[in-house]
Amino acid sequence: MAWHSPDGWLTQGLAPHVSTITITFIITLALPIFVHWYLYRSRAATVTPKFLVLGPSGAGKTALITTLERGAPTATHTSLTPLTIAAPLPATHTPSSARYRSTNDAALRLVPILFTDTPGHGKLRHLALGLITPAPPTPPPTGLIFVVDAAALSSEADNAGLRDAAEYLHDVLLALQRAYERAKSSVAREIPLVVVAGKLDLFTALPAGVVRSLLEAEIGRVRETKARGIVGVGKGGDGLGGEEVVEEGALGGRAEGKFEFGVMEEWGIKVSVVGGNVRGEGPGVTGLWDWVAGQI
Amino acid sequence: MLDSFEVLTTSGVVLWSRTYVPVGASAINALIQDIFIEERGTVGDAARPTYKRDGYTLKWRTAKDLGLIFVAVYQSLLSISWIDKLLDNVRALFTELYRDQLKVPRTTRVECPFDPYFDRQIKELEQEANNATTRSFTDSSAAEITPPGSEANELSAEEHPAVSGLRKAAKKPMYQDSTSTDVTPIATPDASRPNSPAHLLKAKAGPGGRVSRRSRKAAAVVTSSPAAASSGDESSANRRAAPKGGKKKMRKWDAEGLADEDDGVNLDYSAPAAEGERPVESLEGVDQGSWGTRTATGEFTLKDIGDEMDAILQSANAKDAKAADGSSGLVGSSLGAIGGLFRNVVGGKKLTREDLNKSLKGMEEHLLKKNVAREAAVRLCDSVEQDLIGMKTGSFTSVEATIRGAMERALRQILTPTSPLDLLREIQAVQGKRPYVISIVGVNGVGKSTNLSKICYFLLQNKYRVLIAAGDTFRSGAVEQLRVHTRNLRELTARQNAGEVDLYERGYGKDAATIARDAVTYAAQQGFDVVLIDTAGRRHNDQRLMSSLEKFAKMAQPDKILMVGEALVGSDAVQQARNFDAAFGAGRRLDGFIVSKCDTVGDMVGTLVSMVHATGIPVLFLGTGQHYSDLRTLRVESVVELLMRT
Ligand SMILES: Nc1nc2c(ncn2[C@@H]2O[C@H](COP(=O)(O)OP(=O)(O)OP(=O)(O)O)[C@@H](O)[C@H]2O)c(=O)[nH]1
Ligand SMILES: [Mg+2]
Repeated sequence: MAWHSPDGWLTQGLAPHVSTITITFIITLALPIFVHWYLYRSRAATVTPKFLVLGPSGAGKTALITTLERGAPTATHTSLTPLTIAAPLPATHTPSSARYRSTNDAALRLVPILFTDTPGHGKLRHLALGLITPAPPTPPPTGLIFVVDAAALSSEADNAGLRDAAEYLHDVLLALQRAYERAKSSVAREIPLVVVAGKLDLFTALPAGVVRSLLEAEIGRVRETKARGIVGVGKGGDGLGGEEVVEEGALGGRAEGKFEFGVMEEWGIKVSVVGGNVRGEGPGVTGLWDWVAGQI
Repeated sequence: MLDSFEVLTTSGVVLWSRTYVPVGASAINALIQDIFIEERGTVGDAARPTYKRDGYTLKWRTAKDLGLIFVAVYQSLLSISWIDKLLDNVRALFTELYRDQLKVPRTTRVECPFDPYFDRQIKELEQEANNATTRSFTDSSAAEITPPGSEANELSAEEHPAVSGLRKAAKKPMYQDSTSTDVTPIATPDASRPNSPAHLLKAKAGPGGRVSRRSRKAAAVVTSSPAAASSGDESSANRRAAPKGGKKKMRKWDAEGLADEDDGVNLDYSAPAAEGERPVESLEGVDQGSWGTRTATGEFTLKDIGDEMDAILQSANAKDAKAADGSSGLVGSSLGAIGGLFRNVVGGKKLTREDLNKSLKGMEEHLLKKNVAREAAVRLCDSVEQDLIGMKTGSFTSVEATIRGAMERALRQILTPTSPLDLLREIQAVQGKRPYVISIVGVNGVGKSTNLSKICYFLLQNKYRVLIAAGDTFRSGAVEQLRVHTRNLRELTARQNAGEVDLYERGYGKDAATIARDAVTYAAQQGFDVVLIDTAGRRHNDQRLMSSLEKFAKMAQPDKILMVGEALVGSDAVQQARNFDAAFGAGRRLDGFIVSKCDTVGDMVGTLVSMVHATGIPVLFLGTGQHYSDLRTLRVESVVELLMRT
C-alpha cells in the first residue's frame, strides 16, 4: 500500500482520528518527563560520593583534607591510620550531575562528600591499596586523589621523591587496571583519578604540567624495570615453591616505550593533573574542588 | 624546660599543642615512623617509653581506644623528672574531657580549650618538684577539699558541643572548661550522659532565665565562695535522685547567658555556675566555703580547674585500680562472664588482658608451629596485645578473629619493606660510572654460592656484564664450585644472547678483603657493570671470623650486603641475623636477606619473620629451587597467608 493512499499509515497519522490525537498527546506529555528522568538519573542514583586520598608520605594529604574540611590546614604529622572526613561542596562549585539545576535548587546545597585520607608510609600503603578495591558490599570510591609534593620532585637523575611517588602511582594504577580487567565480564566501572601537584606555594615547586610529564616518564621506567625484575613468589599452593607464578600484564598493556596517562582510559581510568596548595600564596584548592564537582 | 607538647591523632592531625621552643615537625615524625611503624628504637620500660633524636628526648603515651598520641619533647641535656607524670595526667584529663567529641566520626574538629588545664598541670608539677617538702601538704589538702563530683553534676549537658545547640556555649572556652570538667568526676559518667539532651530541651523552654541570672550573678559576687564549695558527696547523691528538672533549668539559663555575654569577665563564670546550686543545696556548702583563698575571683578560677582536674585524675586512678583489682563479687563476675561470652559472639566486647591472654597463647603456639622463633613470636604477640587492650571487638567478631586480624596486620607491616629495593634501577643509576658491588654473607652451607649464581643469572638476563669474585678462600672446593657455576652461566647466556660473566679468583689462603677490593678495581678497569662477591661461610658466633667482616666491608665498599639464611633454620635465625647485622662496624648494616630453600618448608615460613623481626631489614629474595631461575621476590600477601593458615 502506497503511503499516499487514503489508508496509508502516513495519511492516517496526519488525519484527525481520536487515536492519533491521543497518541500525540501522550507523547507530548511524556517527552519532557523522559528528558528530565534521563538528565537527573545519575544524580538520583548517587550515594554519598567518596574520594580516596593517596600519595607518598609527607605529600600533604592530611593537610589537604583538613583544609577541605575547615578551609585552613592544621598542623600534621605522619599518619598511622586512615581518616574519613565529610566536607560539603563549597557553594561556588556545582556538581556536574546538577549542572542544569537552578542555582536556587535546594537539592544542590550541602552535598556532603567523604574524603578518606590514608597513610603514605611504605609499610602502611597496603591500607590504602585495600581501600581502592574494597570487598564487595562496600562500594568502591567515586574517585581517587593522588597527592604529590611538587617541590620534592625534580628532574635530576635518581630523585628519590620522584621515584617513590611514581612507584606508588604505578601500583595504584596497576591495582585499578587489574580490578577493571577482573570486573570486565559484569560491570566494569570507570574511575577517575586526579594527581594533585601540591605545595605550589613553595619556590621550588614544579608546575602541574611538568609534574605530569615527569611522573609519566618515571612510571614508564618503573614499569620497565618491574617487567624485567624478578617475579614474586606464587600465590596459593602448599608453600613458596616454584611453580605457580602467574604472569600478569604490565601497566598499560605493554612494558616498553613511553608511558602516558592517556592509555589508561582503555581500562576506564581517567587521569587528570591539577595544581594546588594549602599554605601560602597560590591557587589553593579550587582546582581540586572543580575536579571533584565534575565527578559527582 | 619542656620544649613542646602535642596531642595528636593516629591519623596525623594535631589536636592541641603547646610550643615553648619551636622544635619542628621532624622530631615527632621520626618518632612516629621509628616507634609506631618500624617498631624500633625505644629506650626505657614499656610503661614509660622514651625516644631520643637529634638532641631531643621524646616521651609519649597513647590512648588506644580514642586513637590519640601524647608527646612531650625536651632537650636531652635536661632531665625533667615530672614528664611521665605530666603525660599520664594530660592523658587522663584530655581523654575524659573530650571523649565524646573524639568519638564523633567523619570529622577532625575537636574543640579543646585545654590551655588552662595544661598550664595548671605544669605549674603544679613544677612546684611539686621544686619544693618536695611542702608538696605533700598542699597536694593532699587540695585533694581533700574536692571530693570527686563536687558541684559537677548539674552542667553535664554542656559538656559536649556535639549535642546540637551547644555550639554556642562551646565557643567560650573558659566557660566550657568549667562545665566540662565539672562533669567528669562523676563516678559513672556514662550513665549520666544519655540524659543530658533531655535536660537541655527542658532548659531551653524555661522562661525568665536572663533576669534570674543577673540577679543571681550579683549575689554571686558576694556569696560565691560557699556556693562554689558546696560539694561532692551530697550533690552527687542529689543528682542520682530522680526529680531534678527544676535544677537543671536554672543551670541551663546560666549557661546560655554566659555564652552570649562575650565581654563577661572570664573569671566570673564559676560564680554564677556555682550559684545556681545554692538554693538547692547550700547548707553544707557554707562551712566548706570558709576557705580563704576561694573568695577572690581569680583564685577561684584556678582552684576550680585544679579541683576538677584532681577529681578527674582521681577517678582515673580509681578506675585503674579497679581494673587491676579484677573481679568484683560472685554474682558480678558470673554475670560478667555470661555477658562476656555473649559479647564474644556478637562483638562490642571491650578487650582486657585476660580475654587476650588465652587466645594469644594459642596464637603464639600457632606461630611457633610455623617455625617462627620463640622470641619473635612472643614479641609479636606482645605488640598485638598492646594494640588490642582497651579496644572493642567489631560487631559479630570474636576475640580470636580480632586477634587474627591484628596479627595479620602486624605481620604484614613487619614484612613490607619501607622502601622497596629495585635492584635494576640502582644498577642503572651507576652504570658506566663504576661497577655496582653486591656481596653475599651467611653461615656455612646455607647456599651462598647458589644464590649468588641465581642473582648472577638474573643480571645476565638483563644483559649486564657481571664479575664474580671468589672471596671464599677458606673452604676447599669453594673456588671450583664457583668456576662450575660460571661455566654453566656462560653457556646459558651464550645460548640466550644475554650478558657476560667472568670469574675473579686468586686461589686459597689469601685475605678475602683484599681480593674483594682488587676485584672491584679490576671490574672498574674492565668495564663490568656488577661485581658479585662470594664470602666464606662462618658461624655467627665465631668471633674471629665475624670480626673480619668489618674490614671486608671497609675495603670492598659493597653497595649491598645481603645475608643468606636457610628457611629451615628455626629459632637460630634471630641470632644469626643480629650478629651478621652487627658485624660490619658502626654505620654499616645488612641491606637485605635472601632466604634459601623455601621450597622445602611448605607453609612453615616463619624464618622470614624471625629474621626481619630481629633486625628490621627486609627480605629481598627467596630461593625456591635448584635451578638458576628459582629466585623470587617476596610477596607479602602470600607469606602472610601461609603463616596464618591453620
Ligand atoms: N608549604 C606548604 N606546605 C604544605 C602544604 N601541604 C602540606 N604541607 C606540609 O607538608 C607536611 C606534610 O603534610 P601531611 O599532610 O602531614 O602529609 P601526609 O601526606 O599526610 O603524610 P603521611 O601522613 O605521612 O602520609 C606538613 O608539615 C604540612 O604542613 C602546602 O600546600 N604548602
Ligand atoms: Mg597524613
